Amino acid sequence: MENLVIEETKYTPKINLDAQKGLIELTGKSYPENTFEFYKPMMDWAEEYFNANDLPKTIINFEIIYFNSSSSKLFFDFFDLIEEMSNKGKYIEIYWRYDPDNDSALEAGEDFKEDFEKLNFKLEEK
Amino acid sequence: MEAFENKLIGEIQELQAKFTKTTEKLIKDVKRQDKIMIRSDKRQQQEYDELQKKFAEVEALQKEIEETQREVVFTMGAIGESRSKETGNHVKRVAKYSKIFALYYGLPEKEAEMLKQASPMHDIGKVAIPDSVLNKPGRFNEEERKIMDTHAQLGYEMLNASNRPLLKMATTVAYEHHEKWNGKGYPRGLSGEDIHIYGRITALADVFDALGSDRVYKKAWDDERIFKLFKEERGEHFDPKLIDIFFEHLDEFLKIRDSLKDIQ
Repeated sequence: MENLVIEETKYTPKINLDAQKGLIELTGKSYPENTFEFYKPMMDWAEEYFNANDLPKTIINFEIIYFNSSSSKLFFDFFDLIEEMSNKGKYIEIYWRYDPDNDSALEAGEDFKEDFEKLNFKLEEK
Repeated sequence: MEAFENKLIGEIQELQAKFTKTTEKLIKDVKRQDKIMIRSDKRQQQEYDELQKKFAEVEALQKEIEETQREVVFTMGAIGESRSKETGNHVKRVAKYSKIFALYYGLPEKEAEMLKQASPMHDIGKVAIPDSVLNKPGRFNEEERKIMDTHAQLGYEMLNASNRPLLKMATTVAYEHHEKWNGKGYPRGLSGEDIHIYGRITALADVFDALGSDRVYKKAWDDERIFKLFKEERGEHFDPKLIDIFFEHLDEFLKIRDSLKDIQ
């Protein structure tokens, strides 16, 4: 399966999806003009990835500094997908990295952790 | 009959389960949406606060810069004054006269205020005039007069390097405050509106104040003599429009003169 890398822009994060290493990484800010359109390739990739591969473990790193509310919504959708895959028996670890000075990043991480209590969701200070 | 009933119940139960599942999902979505909204509102508020803070900082910096410019210009004006035979409140009065002329001439308040701050620098070039000439008691000979007159050009050369608005204005003032409306002034012999309005204003304000003040070498002229000269020099030495403004608002100019009298 192909890897997918989307470079960071002023309004969008760097996205690094590595099928060989079992790695899903988002780094930066998330203020896309059209959030769902922007993340569609990532969502499609993730679905295909989980359905196709059999790696023993997938690591998801989120390091999102600032994001708009439609990005929040999209991350919920994304974690729904992850939860579905986890329920199907995939082993997935999620790391939500935040700057200790950035309250809103921490709070968002706490929201996701709370909403997806079955997921292996870890908050990590940078 | 019984079997039929059972089948229907089964279907309803299935529907019920589906309905429950759907409503549960809907409730979950609505809860999430609310959560997102609360978080987003909170974040927007923080961002707003942050922005306001930054704006305040920028504003404070802007003020600081303007204050610094004012101080520099004022200090330079004071230096110029220390090298000039004008004394006491001369530069303060010239500053205030200049602003009034500027306002009635039609310049915007901000520009008039800037001119008030820049006009005290008109004689800054005198710092480069040798003491032997500058401090000479009595009248200058032709050679000394020539040297003395270079102060306008010298002031221009000193200030010209600056790109700051206030200093640029001061450059114009220093350069052109000895030009005359009829073209017989110096250093360039400009005439009419080729002389910048800042120069025309400062020229009149400076002369009005110099004539009306006692000096070591002369007594103050009385008002009638000054007014007569101004009428004669309307359209000669001075911009006629400014002379008209002067007579139209004479009370305001005299009020400034009274409030900033030199202490003998």
